[in-house]
Amino acid sequence: MAISTEKLTHILQSFVTSTTDIQGAAVVTPDGLPLAASLPGSMDEERVSAMSAAMLSLGDRIGSELARGGIDRIYVEGDKGYGILTSCGEDAVFLVLADKAAKQGLLLLEIKRTLSELKAVLM
Amino acid sequence: MEIMRLVVTGPVGAGKSTFIRSVSEIEVVDTDRRATDEALLIKKRTTVAFDFGRLQFGPDMALHLYGTPGQSRFDFMWDILIQKAHAYILLVAAHRPHEFREARRIMMFMQQRSPVPMIIGLTHTDCPNAWDAANIALALGYPNPNRRPPLVTVNANETASVAQAVIALVQHTWSGSLATT
Repeated sequence: MAISTEKLTHILQSFVTSTTDIQGAAVVTPDGLPLAASLPGSMDEERVSAMSAAMLSLGDRIGSELARGGIDRIYVEGDKGYGILTSCGEDAVFLVLADKAAKQGLLLLEIKRTLSELKAVLM
Repeated sequence: MEIMRLVVTGPVGAGKSTFIRSVSEIEVVDTDRRATDEALLIKKRTTVAFDFGRLQFGPDMALHLYGTPGQSRFDFMWDILIQKAHAYILLVAAHRPHEFREARRIMMFMQQRSPVPMIIGLTHTDCPNAWDAANIALALGYPNPNRRPPLVTVNANETASVAQAVIALVQHTWSGSLATT
């Protein structure tokens, strides 16, 4: 079955709008192409996708070479907020951009929930 | 121990990852992922962050080789890698003339950000329909053979051939630094 971009976009949009302090989200291929995105207007989808893929691949590499095992998640913590990359099965990477005010526990739960929704569409 | 950082760049499928794998003494740190874009026409996997290899060059110098991704959506990686480079080699597949423009674009990108020496490496020169060096130089914007970066032919699969190219790059870098001092 073909992957429905509309469904993916819909999931991302409702994730971004219904979760407080989330500013954007995207699902990209492991080689850095956009599948679906709901991002702040100033951000270029293609660039965001490429960066996500580069970061996750390096994280994977650190996991294997520095004996950290398989990588579930990569955090980028800045003074203005978080960028969280989560691997979403073989064929996708899930990026979430959150505000500094975001509650981490809530964030992780929401990411987990959305991940399973995304996976259902991607399978 | 002196470290010289060399960047290997060029369009998709020019042979950047293969180049580094051929000469690295350590197991190459690669970040390739299954390709889903136009790279798929040429190969199955594509670099998404960088390749890293190391080569001992004489008793007190180590070469660190960094290979860039080929696609322009990864130009932030081009930028990161070229900032710290001492020199770079632009690999161009001689039998894919439609990519010469992309190669030139990458070269311009690098030249705008860094004044370090560069050479051009022609790969796939044994393929049918490969262009000759003079015409490729022309296509890359160097009509005058006396005023262009050194051009070498490389078989990225052959260690000896890649080593020759690396030596040419290091020599070019040294001759440049002698000329300016």
